[in-house]
Amino acid sequence: MTSLTVTNASVSGRIADVGLSLAPGMLAGLVGPNGSGKSTLLQVAAGLLPATGGVSWSGREVNEILIPERGRLTAWVPQEARFEFGFSVRSVVAQGRYARGDDECGVDEALRQLDLTSLAHRPVNRLSGGEKQRVMLARALVTEAPLQLWDEPLAPLDPRHALEVLTHARRLTRAGTTVLFSLHDLRAAYCLDFVVVLHQGRLRAAGPPEKVLTPELLMEVFGVRAKQSLGLTLELP
Amino acid sequence: MPLLRSTLTFFLWLAAVLLASGEPSAVRVVSQTVGTDELLLALAEPSQIAALSHLARESVYSAVADEAKNYPQLSPTCDLEGALQFHPTLILCANYSRVELVTQARRAGLKVIVFEKYRTIEDAYENLRLLARELGPTAEAKAERIIADCERRIADLRKRLEGAKPLRVIAPSTYGLIPGDDSTFQDLCDHAGAENLAFTLGKLHGHAVPPNEQMLTWPVDRVVLSGDNAEKALAVFRQTPPYLFMPAVKEGRVALLKHYQLSCVSHRRVDGYEQLARALYPERFP
Amino acid sequence: MTPPWVHRVAFPVALFLLGLLALTSLAIGDMHLSPVRIFSGLLHRDELAATILWNIRLPRMLVSMMVGAALASSGLVMQAYFRNSLASPGLLGVSSGGAAGAVVMIGLGWASASIFVLPVAAILGAMISTTVVIMLARRGASTERLLLAGVALNALLGAVTSYVLANFTLSYERNARILFWMLGGLEDRTWEHVLMASPIILAGALLWPLGRPMDLLSLGAREAQSLGVDIKRLRRSMLALSTVLTALATAVAGTVGFVGLIVPHLLRLLVGPEHKRLVPLTLIGGAAFVLACDLISRSAGGLRVGIVTSLIGGPFFIWLLRRQA
Repeated sequence: MTSLTVTNASVSGRIADVGLSLAPGMLAGLVGPNGSGKSTLLQVAAGLLPATGGVSWSGREVNEILIPERGRLTAWVPQEARFEFGFSVRSVVAQGRYARGDDECGVDEALRQLDLTSLAHRPVNRLSGGEKQRVMLARALVTEAPLQLWDEPLAPLDPRHALEVLTHARRLTRAGTTVLFSLHDLRAAYCLDFVVVLHQGRLRAAGPPEKVLTPELLMEVFGVRAKQSLGLTLELP
Repeated sequence: MPLLRSTLTFFLWLAAVLLASGEPSAVRVVSQTVGTDELLLALAEPSQIAALSHLARESVYSAVADEAKNYPQLSPTCDLEGALQFHPTLILCANYSRVELVTQARRAGLKVIVFEKYRTIEDAYENLRLLARELGPTAEAKAERIIADCERRIADLRKRLEGAKPLRVIAPSTYGLIPGDDSTFQDLCDHAGAENLAFTLGKLHGHAVPPNEQMLTWPVDRVVLSGDNAEKALAVFRQTPPYLFMPAVKEGRVALLKHYQLSCVSHRRVDGYEQLARALYPERFP
Repeated sequence: MTPPWVHRVAFPVALFLLGLLALTSLAIGDMHLSPVRIFSGLLHRDELAATILWNIRLPRMLVSMMVGAALASSGLVMQAYFRNSLASPGLLGVSSGGAAGAVVMIGLGWASASIFVLPVAAILGAMISTTVVIMLARRGASTERLLLAGVALNALLGAVTSYVLANFTLSYERNARILFWMLGGLEDRTWEHVLMASPIILAGALLWPLGRPMDLLSLGAREAQSLGVDIKRLRRSMLALSTVLTALATAVAGTVGFVGLIVPHLLRLLVGPEHKRLVPLTLIGGAAFVLACDLISRSAGGLRVGIVTSLIGGPFFIWLLRRQA
């Protein structure tokens, strides 16, 4: 039973005929140059963008799931958080519990995990880009959704916070959650379980990173040369 | 060749003489306001009337609605071009006409008379005389006859109303302003033996917002309305606060005037004086 | 951010203020009534005072409160809908539709037929205009398309109103009526107006459960949907409620500007953006605001209430600008 299956998904002008399948507990990365359709694919997978083709979660067609239930099953983090109003960090994170009865379960824990405890009462519209991204991630964590879809979560984060997010993601997948997120850092992609490569709106390759991220593919899709070497590896203390 | 040329010259000269020997400076007048319509129709020969205002045929505003049908009319959005198509030599305006129109008309070489005073009956006489001077000696004689007639009627009214206790009136409106003193309504009241409570109790000047709550305490004898039918005119006020709470309205104590009489600025206001006096003191007009 | 105790006392203070203003509104008028007379008037023991209190001051007070509550809460909904704290009820052409409807009626000379003519015409105009805006925007009613459609319709309806004003100049009386209607006014409101405005209370109550989803919506539509909010249904309800509230308010008081902009904005600065606090506070605050403006307009000798709200709105905006800078 797959956790997420996308079949022949097309959105005119953005993606064409994309299909992928993720097992539960997979930490998967979505890579591709800018404009290759990563955000679109994530939104289609989250059931937020209508597309031809099919999307199903744990075997159930997304269109047949009512929206309130969808909120319990999936969490989506957008590429950029635009906060117009000054809700406090804590209340924004707590909004993640909307589909689960609006209780406050796990909110403090999520704040701690994303290093937001000191910012808990700050209005969100006065945060830096990286802080806003962490707020969105905390909100996604708090939903306890078994399928997490994150759009470029690491991009605005500094190395330490980026590593922490990856650690939390890994922890989630060990507990059975599926996490699919788009990223630009190919070296980080190398450490994931599964990589999906998009190129000009089409699926180029999907599979374990050693098989997919070959020098030939990297040249074709990204126009960069790659070779295996011992580079700088970062670790959390 | 010389013969043809001199014949042509002769005929041209003859034509010029004939044309020039017509009525010296024939006056053609365009009237831009209802007040001046009334003046013009009272004083001018038909050939002197070029066009009347766009309200001339509206019996709601014009005392001469029927007569006005015989003459052309300006359009409501009339500009100078619209007026010029009637070939006027004189245009009559009021001080509430558009100043641009007045300026343009003067620049086009037309004579423009702007009537500025029209509050009292004496002002109306002045205006009659002013216009009459432009129209010629026949008109001037007519003007004096009209003035004399008005004076006679006013004197007659005064005699009939001698000793009558002034009835207390107001002129209600549906849009929130009522006339105090310094208005045509006040002038009507003064000549018809009525007391305008909007002025004496409300201290209102011109058209102003009345004190809606205090008005309910005013001892209104009659409400002065305009229309063809008292009941119809009253019906509107029977649903408009605060009039609907007034005893005078509830009991239907109405003095009815014709529409144009409530806002007439020309000498025709004397019709209004008489109408109001009759409505208020019917016993004095057997 | 304001200290939390402000959040706690805001609602009781607002209620108290509203009560005070309501009492003042009953006590003040161009007819001076002593407290004793007011009391006996309320008990119908003094006929003149009773007429004034029950037929003049009380309906006016109730209409003011309902109009204020309606416009302020409609503004709140618009601000959440468009994710912009400068949104106002009139954005989608509801108030200009109402104005056009009423103005056309006045121009045709039918306004005097019955006290219901103008309000009904205003409501019809408002409904038609909102329907047109939504049809123009179509396809999911994205906020940008809606805004543009609203701009277009506001312009069109403004032209209709101007046309009536310019070409029906026959009657000074009609012009005056049109002008007074467009400046907004609470004079001479009757119990019929109170009746016509009463659905505002229901609409305001229906707004309460939408508060939490509006919190989520105001931080992003897609984000809200991914958290389990049915944004299509929510937006439909928000649009419907806002339209009804604005249409009814415009119908009974003419166009009164700035209330829907100032009140929610100010309250948000005071107690934060959580709608569970904002919804009831906006209803009360809006009622109090218009009641206060009406008191000012009455003391200033009959200034139209729309003028008072604009006179307050302008400087408020300047203050906002300086604060943001």
